[in-house]
Amino acid sequence: MTNTPHDADVAFIRALAELLQENDLTELQVKREYGEDDSLNVRVSRQKGQMTVMTEAPAQVMQAPAATLAPAAQVTPAPAEKSSDDPADHPGAVTSPMVGTVYLQSEPGAPAFIRVGQQVSEGETLLIVEAMKTMNQIPAPRAGTVKRILVDDGTAVEFGAPLVILE
Amino acid sequence: MIDWPSRYGRHVLESVDSTLDEAVRRLPVQGPEWILAKRQTRARGRRGRSWSMQIGNFAGTLILPVAEPPALVALRSFVASLALREACIAATGREDVFSLKWPNDVLLRGCKLAGILLERLDQDHLAIGIGVNLVAAPRPDQVEPGAVPPVALNTIGHKIAPEDFLNLLADAYARYEDQFTTFGFAPIRAAWLSHAARLGEVITARTNQVEMSGTFADVDETGQLVLETPKGRVPIPAADVYF
Repeated sequence: MTNTPHDADVAFIRALAELLQENDLTELQVKREYGEDDSLNVRVSRQKGQMTVMTEAPAQVMQAPAATLAPAAQVTPAPAEKSSDDPADHPGAVTSPMVGTVYLQSEPGAPAFIRVGQQVSEGETLLIVEAMKTMNQIPAPRAGTVKRILVDDGTAVEFGAPLVILE
Repeated sequence: MIDWPSRYGRHVLESVDSTLDEAVRRLPVQGPEWILAKRQTRARGRRGRSWSMQIGNFAGTLILPVAEPPALVALRSFVASLALREACIAATGREDVFSLKWPNDVLLRGCKLAGILLERLDQDHLAIGIGVNLVAAPRPDQVEPGAVPPVALNTIGHKIAPEDFLNLLADAYARYEDQFTTFGFAPIRAAWLSHAARLGEVITARTNQVEMSGTFADVDETGQLVLETPKGRVPIPAADVYF
C-alpha cells in the first residue's frame, strides 16, 4: 500500500512528539502496520533538549527540504516491499549510528574496506560515516561474512539506516 | 603566564609521521593528552588530502577519551574551532579578525588559517588533529580551486612558537570542553554562531555527489549546516563549504 496519506503520517509523528514532550519522556518507538506489505516505523527521541525523529526509510538529506517538525527528518512511509526483503529488518544488518556521509575507502583511490563475500573479524572497520568533519569508523559488531553492502560511496545516510549485512 | 590544564597530558615531539598516527599508537589513554610535533613527515588532511607542514607551524593532536554516541562526539568540531579561535585571539590580542566557517575552520580576515580533522579512533577515543599556519601558508596554487585562500598568523605581525601556542590552545580547549560536557551543545552552538562568517549570506555546500547553494541560515541543534533554499530549509551533515 504505497498511497498511505503522507499528511496522516506527519500528523501521527507530530502527535508522538507532543506526547513525548507532555509526558517528559526521552524516547518513543511505534510500528504501524498498514497492511501485509506496508508499515511505518517511527522512533522519536529527545536528548539534551533536542528532539529527533527517525523513520525507517533513509532520507536524501541533500535533495529535499526537511519536515518542519525536526531537523534531519524526512517523513517517508516505508516502501511497499515484503518486510522480509527490507534490509533494516535483517538480523545481520549493521546500521548507521549517525546522520552523515558514507565512505567505503579510507581515502579516495584506496582499496575499499570490505567487499561482498569477505570474512571480517569483530572490530574490523567496515566503512566510515562522516559528519561535521568527524570520521567515524564503523566496526564490525561481530565476526562474519559480508553478504551485502547497501550504500554507495559518498551517499548520505540517516541515523539507523542499514549499511551492511553481515552473516 | 597560562596554566596548563590539569588532567591533560602534554607530549612534545621533535619529529613524527603524523600526530594523528601517533595518537593511534598511544592508545589506550586514561585522560586527554595533547601531542605536539615540531615536524611532521607525513601530515594529512581530510580524506587523504595532503597538508603541508612547514617548520614553525603548529601541528598537534588531542586524544580525548569519549563515551557519548557518535552524533554527540562529532559536535567536538565546534568545541575545537571555538577553542582554536580563542587561542588565536590570545596569541595576537586581535579579536576582530578571526571568524569561523562550518563546521570547524578558523579564518583570519576570511582566509584559511587552520585545519581541524576529527577521527574516532575506537569506541572510547576521539582524536582531534589541528594544524595552524603560524609562520607560513601554502601557496594559493597548492590548494584546491575554489577553496578559501590560505593565510598565516604572522601576516598580522605576531610570531608565536608552536609550544607556546599549544599552551594557549590547551587552556582554551579545556574550558570549552568543560562547558560542553556540563551544559551540552546549546552554549557552544550560540557562541559558534556569534563568530560565524557569512551567516545570512549565500554559500555553497558540496559533497562528491551533490552541490547546493542557499542562504546560510543556521547551525541546528545537531550541528548540521542549515541552508535556506527555494525548496525550503535543508540540513546538511557533511559537506565542504565554499563562499
